[in-house]
Amino acid sequence: MDNESPLKAIMVVTATALVCSILVTVTAVSLQPIQRAYRDLERNRHIVGVSGLLEVTDDVPDRQIVMAFQGLDARLVDLDRGVFDDDVNPDTFDARKAASDPEFGVPIPAAQDIAALGRRSRLVTVYVVEDADGLQRIIFPVYGKGMWSMLSGFLALESDLNTIAGITFHEQGETAGIGDRILAPNWQARWRGRKLYDAQDTLRFRIAKAAVDPAAPDAAFEVDGLTGATVTADAVTNLVRYWFGPHGFAKFLDNYSAAGDTR
Amino acid sequence: MDQLLAIFVRAIFVENLALAFFLGMCTFLAISRQVKTAIGLGAAVILVEGITVPVNNLIYTYLLREGALGWAGLGHLDFSYLGLISYIGVIAAIVQILEMALSRFFPALHQSLGIFLPLLTVNCAILGASLFMVQRDYDFVESAAYGVGVGVGWALALIVLAGLREKMKFSDIPAGLQGLGITFITAGIMSMAFMAMAGIEF
Amino acid sequence: MIRARDALLNPLIDENPVTLQVLGICSALAITNSLYSALVMSLALTSVLAYSNVVISMMRRHLPASVRIIVQMTVIASGVIIIDELLQAFAPETAKTLSVFVGLIITNCIVLGRAEAFAAHNRVGISFLDGIGNGMGYSLVLIAVAVIRELFGAGTLMGAEILPTVSNGGWFEPNAMLLLPPSAFFIIGFIIWGIRSWKPEQREQPDFAPLAADELRGD
Repeated sequence: MDNESPLKAIMVVTATALVCSILVTVTAVSLQPIQRAYRDLERNRHIVGVSGLLEVTDDVPDRQIVMAFQGLDARLVDLDRGVFDDDVNPDTFDARKAASDPEFGVPIPAAQDIAALGRRSRLVTVYVVEDADGLQRIIFPVYGKGMWSMLSGFLALESDLNTIAGITFHEQGETAGIGDRILAPNWQARWRGRKLYDAQDTLRFRIAKAAVDPAAPDAAFEVDGLTGATVTADAVTNLVRYWFGPHGFAKFLDNYSAAGDTR
Repeated sequence: MDQLLAIFVRAIFVENLALAFFLGMCTFLAISRQVKTAIGLGAAVILVEGITVPVNNLIYTYLLREGALGWAGLGHLDFSYLGLISYIGVIAAIVQILEMALSRFFPALHQSLGIFLPLLTVNCAILGASLFMVQRDYDFVESAAYGVGVGVGWALALIVLAGLREKMKFSDIPAGLQGLGITFITAGIMSMAFMAMAGIEF
Repeated sequence: MIRARDALLNPLIDENPVTLQVLGICSALAITNSLYSALVMSLALTSVLAYSNVVISMMRRHLPASVRIIVQMTVIASGVIIIDELLQAFAPETAKTLSVFVGLIITNCIVLGRAEAFAAHNRVGISFLDGIGNGMGYSLVLIAVAVIRELFGAGTLMGAEILPTVSNGGWFEPNAMLLLPPSAFFIIGFIIWGIRSWKPEQREQPDFAPLAADELRGD
């Protein structure tokens, strides 16, 4: 057939499109479970890292991470009522996806939406670390808009539900070399021991503009700033303040600590 | 509004596609001998970036991303793996349509921009801008600002480089460095100048 | 046989796609701050190049001119998506570092350039060798740049410490400038200078002939 006839052109294009789409789809669909498993493992590595159960370094084998993760008690928190909700299975529930689901998602009032999320799920998964002595830590997911893209991580609180035990970010697209210093272990270590709320129960936590003067009255609530990364630092402050504010976990923390534990 | 301005200005200076991400280098180095042609190519890039980035944003938001087909009752589908092929298809189609539209309605403009348009289908700066838009999760308006911003930034870098190369007729360049070599080194120095703006955060 | 050897080896120095033909340097620069990502990128590009050359060479008698480019782009893009998906499944960390640059192989000028200039007129076997050869030519430049940048920028190679840095108690003060984008321009510029001093036939004519003295005097 003549190569320049329109019919030939249409045939060649159709055949190419068909073959290529089959190839691409088969590859993508068959690799999806592996990609997903890896993503979950990566996230779990971060969760285990702030749980205090295991010192997580790059050398820790995946098996150990999986075992430690299974030792955590995943529970769903109903943010509006401030209580655990055990009717939904936390293992299959994805709070990020549920935010756009009409059944679980709720819009965030503009005045409170400091983390620029738009919507959030009514239920959120937290991880409770308990041992023979009782509650050790609770690990809360925190996320919000960063400099460029979604910034999300996990913040662990000590059993007083006020002192920070650890922070980690597993998803970020901050400016390389500037904003991505939030990943530096020595900066994240400075979060340990800081407090979210003061004695009057006011949320005081923030990332400071510069290094924190240990003598300052706010020093207990502040983490050293990152020079040049103002937007990233503010984004981190905002996402912590949103998730531990009245529209986030504040009600749950009140209820939970009133139920017996001390703040 | 502040947010849009920040995206726009950052796209031009701090995150300049040519000088910070090295995108569109083949064309960047080949078509920077004269300021006049550089201006033509620059204008074509601004036009194409300004159209393709927001259009690809619509494709991504309403067809490809996970749950994007919710409007058609197919919210469980995730076609994001088809992103690359869709964006390049959209870019090729838009460039083609643009070329036909220009030659039909603005023959004068077509004469000055026409020769550059086919080059732009396979320019990494065009595809790269769409990929960054997806990676950074811009909404439609933001992606329009970003598209125009990266276009302006790329054009600016190109025109400045062409201006510098024109001035080089007065310099005595070692034979082995002539042409491509000295252009790389000039681009490196320009890139350093643009890096100085990297500390700016809005 | 000689033709096969030429197709494979010429692109290394004599017709290097990066330094001579100014093709495919976009990605060559941005991901060369670590040797490991440069190696993965080289591998990804070489496989896409070999694959696209083979497929396009097989189709060469059935490609109508009107849709030639778009069909070639579709073939290339599919190959890139497959590589990208494979990387995300089996080398996710690397896929994250390479971010958009794997996708940008689609618009890498070497790939379409070789498809157009070589695979569209040659038989499958030799097109395959041409793809591998050009892929290696690209890899050579990429790896050279990456070795310089990582070794002197961070004192490491493949993440392992080679030159003990001052901050780790050694003697080497790394030049962090080498990890930033501009250094890649300089390094490639100097590599080109080196190659062209060695192989003078690759030199370019000056962009502008130097003006003679009487022309400068003007009126």
